[in-house]
Amino acid sequence: MAAEAPRTAVTLMIDGRGITVPKGTTVYQAARSAGVDIPIFCYHDRMPPLGACRMCLVEVQKMSKLQTACTLEASEGMVVSTTSPAVRAAQESMLELLLINHPLDCPICDKGGECPLQDQAFRYGPGRSRFIEAKRDHAKPLSLGPVLALDRERCILCWRCVRFGEIIAGDDALKGFERGFASEVGTPRALPVESKFIGNTIAICPVGALTSRTYRFRARPWDIDPVASTCTYCGVGCSVWLDVRGGEILRTRAREEPEVNDAWLCDLGFFGHGYVAAGDRLTTPLVRREGRLQEASWDEALDLVAERLRASAERGPGRVAFLGGRRLSNEDASAAAGFFRDVVGTPHLDHRVDAPPDGASLGVSWGLRSSLEDLGRGDVFVLVGCDITEEYPVLWLRIKAAIDRGASLVIVHAKRLEIRRHARRELLDRHDRLAPLVAALAADETVASGERVHVLLGRLAMDGPDGPNLLRSADSLVRRVNGTLHIARGRGNDFGAQRFGLLPGEGGMAAPGILQGAAAGAFDLLYVAGSDPATAVTDGAAWESARSGVGFLVVHEAFLSETAQAADVVLPALVLPEKDGTVTNLEGRTLALRAAVKGPGQARADREIFDLLAARMGVVRGHDTATRIEPVARIEPAAAGAGASPSLIVVVADRLFTQGSMAGRCRGLIELAGTAHCLIHPADAARAGVTDLGLVEMVTEHASVVVQARVSDVTLPGQVLVHRGYDGVPVHALARWSPAPAGVEVRPVAPPGGETP
Amino acid sequence: MPGLLKQSIALLRGFLITGRYLFRPPVTVLYPEVKTRVAPRFKGRHWLTRYADGVERCVGCELCVIVCPSQAIYVRAAENTPERQVSKGERHADQFQINMLRCIFCGFCEEACPTGSIVMGQDYELAGYSRASLIYTKPMLTEPYPGASGRDPGREV
Ligand code: SF4
Ligand code: SF4
Ligand code: SF4
Ligand code: SF4
Ligand code: FES
Repeated sequence: MAAEAPRTAVTLMIDGRGITVPKGTTVYQAARSAGVDIPIFCYHDRMPPLGACRMCLVEVQKMSKLQTACTLEASEGMVVSTTSPAVRAAQESMLELLLINHPLDCPICDKGGECPLQDQAFRYGPGRSRFIEAKRDHAKPLSLGPVLALDRERCILCWRCVRFGEIIAGDDALKGFERGFASEVGTPRALPVESKFIGNTIAICPVGALTSRTYRFRARPWDIDPVASTCTYCGVGCSVWLDVRGGEILRTRAREEPEVNDAWLCDLGFFGHGYVAAGDRLTTPLVRREGRLQEASWDEALDLVAERLRASAERGPGRVAFLGGRRLSNEDASAAAGFFRDVVGTPHLDHRVDAPPDGASLGVSWGLRSSLEDLGRGDVFVLVGCDITEEYPVLWLRIKAAIDRGASLVIVHAKRLEIRRHARRELLDRHDRLAPLVAALAADETVASGERVHVLLGRLAMDGPDGPNLLRSADSLVRRVNGTLHIARGRGNDFGAQRFGLLPGEGGMAAPGILQGAAAGAFDLLYVAGSDPATAVTDGAAWESARSGVGFLVVHEAFLSETAQAADVVLPALVLPEKDGTVTNLEGRTLALRAAVKGPGQARADREIFDLLAARMGVVRGHDTATRIEPVARIEPAAAGAGASPSLIVVVADRLFTQGSMAGRCRGLIELAGTAHCLIHPADAARAGVTDLGLVEMVTEHASVVVQARVSDVTLPGQVLVHRGYDGVPVHALARWSPAPAGVEVRPVAPPGGETP
Repeated sequence: MPGLLKQSIALLRGFLITGRYLFRPPVTVLYPEVKTRVAPRFKGRHWLTRYADGVERCVGCELCVIVCPSQAIYVRAAENTPERQVSKGERHADQFQINMLRCIFCGFCEEACPTGSIVMGQDYELAGYSRASLIYTKPMLTEPYPGASGRDPGREV
């Protein structure tokens, strides 16, 4: 991987060919680099060798027994044969032994056609078996959760899946049980399996023992057209294959890209394609007539929007505002920015729809300040309010690898993160008291002694009551230790929207300003694309008053979202897997999107819609308008709200699996998201008389919701944790934009019908 | 002279053969009123067969799909449920189509089938008035009752 100190090379002979490799290379890798094929099962090149399956036996001169090529280090003058009669005989007997207990399942096995065991049995196997005894018999398949199925009869005990959880993901999701003949794979705790990376074990299992429940029996490899594209969920921008059969994306697989996702994906990416084919996609433009949204033709809808835009221009400049960008491609974002700046002539554009006015998010540009690879070379990682596995899961795999190489992890958060056991230090406090913890870190010897310190400031920190102070403390921390401050903020293609100009221009307002302006009647027309402000704006009331204050609302949407329901014109848009183009990931890298399937009905790409509108406004546009926009100047934060701090506050956290408009339409992910709930600390629960899994009423100054409570020390005393992205907890209704933390009262609700058991 | 005699004898021999066949039953039949029997291993229209207990043999493995040289077969598999056990095991064919216009009646599909489900039958009357009517679907291909295709439903594969 990384360029290391020059090492001496060794030369060895494999099947009569001289091969020179760096010292430390295994015989298997040396053979592979020379194009000599040695069959393997347990070895995986992202993990250290194990030597469990003995499929890779080779003959080495002057060694009395056959050796496992995956564990044997190449040395000078070694003479290796991979095809000698002894090796052939060993390969045949290894396969014969593996197949003693392997069921004759290929016709009904999802791995069939892409199965290393099938291929190697064909190529290296004896073609017959001397074993006539009854095979092992297990109930099949075992469901290990909404996305994973385990068929124990097919498992060849290579331990790849178990070691993936131990070495790569660090979540120990699967473990080996029993010994010898009775060995089997299972979950260490109760079902379902707890992991955000379990899709990878399906990919690396060399047989059909671990299979995907959402892809089950839906296709064979020869039915599939793989399309090389990019995952557009979290912003890491993992390279994927979208496997298409008959115009439908049936599964997603990781595409190797060492600089971004290496060979991995998270489960949101793996199982998150179902929304594209959802039945409730918008297929025709909708126009509000007599108070109801009714189907219309494109011409009708576009003429109406163009007319409203012209009417607004007659009343004066800058009376139109644009919000959104997360779900647009770079090309769409650039077309939108060009259209609103040059054709409509307004500086009021912003993609940061979910940022509150007084946090730290609006003052900095979002994303990493180094490449992912540089980040992976760090020796100290400080996560400030950044729940990395929930927000940027594949980035965590890189940090985990660095930790295994000796780097240290420091967590500053208001919640006990699931990766806490990998941390050198964990500093926890209530959400409104995090800044002093960061300030104190400069004196921490782990951090101070780091040579390449990476501080990741997350959404929970930046948008919290103390955001600006946290930003300042983090900034001075990296100055002191000569580290790098990363703004771990933004999802999807927020980074492309930022890069291609969906930010306020000269004299323009940021998203909260646009909403406040709209409420005050400063705009005739509000235009939304690639976002759902009705649920994304963290102050629900701000959105509602903006909506009622603005005369005309135009929305590009793939689904009838809450924003679309409130719109005057809804234009059906393609989603990213239906478009050719590019996106930008959180390190600023441009990644290609390839249209995998056609869109439904008359849906169009956002960029095309802007071009059609521009033509109606009398401007024919080309596509060389991508201007690079510098981030807006740093806003000096207001002093944090003094005032009395409430005894119990509500904290909104991010979760990987939610009921959002995309993930909420994907089989498997809906189940992973589970039901809405709030997390309450045992001490607070005891005081309020709340029981685990009981219903509670959360009452804030602004709203009250009834939701299930989970009593857990994942949260801290004095704060109730809720997650974004669940219909059951409209988090944007609970609180208002305010620099002070939102107080909350929690009281148990008696279930209808009396006593709690 | 001997030349003429030789030719006349040859002519008579020829008429003799014609005369012999004149009194034998004909080998041609009046199709379509009358139909001939085909050879037992004739490769005619396909059947998806059942086990003796009526359970479908096809498991939707798609081996026939990949082996078919003219790409005439389309299969979409689905999972068996305890309430709806279509075939033995976990998997069955939910959709099964053969495009008879593409099929070259090579019989590879029958050879590839691991469960002995797809077999080539005796029926060769495969004309139609539209292309669509010649895409045979699963209900058309599946035996109405075990053995309807002429194959022994008790056979192993
Ligand atoms: S794991 Fe491979 S060899 Fe085993 S039944 Fe499945 S396809 Fe066949
Ligand atoms: S389930 Fe697959 S990856 Fe895991 S041990 Fe068994 S064969 Fe190996
Ligand atoms: S008989 Fe040959 S051409 Fe016809 S469906 Fe079977 S494999 Fe295909
Ligand atoms: S007919 Fe046979 S080969 Fe074709 S899908 Fe069914 S079981 Fe498989
Ligand atoms: S690959 Fe070498 S022992 Fe398994």
